[in-house]
Amino acid sequence: MDEQEIVSKVRQCVATALGRDEDEVQVDKKLQSDLEAESIDYLDITFQLEKAFGISIDKDELFPQKIFQDEELVKNGVVTEKGLQFLEEKLPFADLATFRKDPRVTRVPDLFTVGLLVNYVKTKLASS
Amino acid sequence: MKYVLVDRFLELEAGRRAKSVKCVTAGEGFFGEADEYPPTLVLETILQTGGTVARLVAAPGTRTMLGKVERARFPAAARPGDRIVCEVEAILSRPEGTMCRGVARVDGRVVGEAEFMIIYLPEALTPKESPAAREQRRLLWQSLGIPWDGQ
Repeated sequence: MDEQEIVSKVRQCVATALGRDEDEVQVDKKLQSDLEAESIDYLDITFQLEKAFGISIDKDELFPQKIFQDEELVKNGVVTEKGLQFLEEKLPFADLATFRKDPRVTRVPDLFTVGLLVNYVKTKLASS
Repeated sequence: MKYVLVDRFLELEAGRRAKSVKCVTAGEGFFGEADEYPPTLVLETILQTGGTVARLVAAPGTRTMLGKVERARFPAAARPGDRIVCEVEAILSRPEGTMCRGVARVDGRVVGEAEFMIIYLPEALTPKESPAAREQRRLLWQSLGIPWDGQ
């Protein structure tokens, strides 16, 4: 599957899960702040990606909830160094260099873009 | 299910599919001037059918809850005297939830259809069920034809 096909299918998946037109779902769009994804939508996106690409996504693999729950990863509303390492390990496709400059936990959802999903699927397909 | 709309399960495969029946009666008192059964209650009947499919495979210590409803449509109305037959299948399942597709028909005519997600939540996040409520649920499941799993 070439990159263009992956991008197209990921956009379709996100559009279906969020009830959006595909034209609105561009790779640079943030799932939450641009496309108004809610928590339940992340599970729907996972469903759609598994179905569309025939992949299996472990719980918390794509959208790790631990960052919002573990006190060692976030202190006083800011992601700790340990938290940053956790994100780097879990989300190697995310733009963490920019995030490190202002690591407030409220900015974590902005890491999840359509482009991140595309990169995730590419890596997943390459390893299968 | 505080208000049970399903009258009986005709077929039930845990985690996979179910077929249920709901008979509409004028005595339910939900009808407006058009004598049409509210589409929201048709939807609720579909959701209760699918919720049961998912609940029967919920991991111990978890409870089911409706996550979201998509692509719901109600092309025709159901009226008093109609027998609504709901067929629901689980189309995708994960540890966090199950996506279902359901359709409700009266004499083969579609009166409602939807896709919806049932999510699994830890028991600690859901209201605690009293022993009396649990016994009431056991009796209800028995009358609906749902196998009692003791959960």
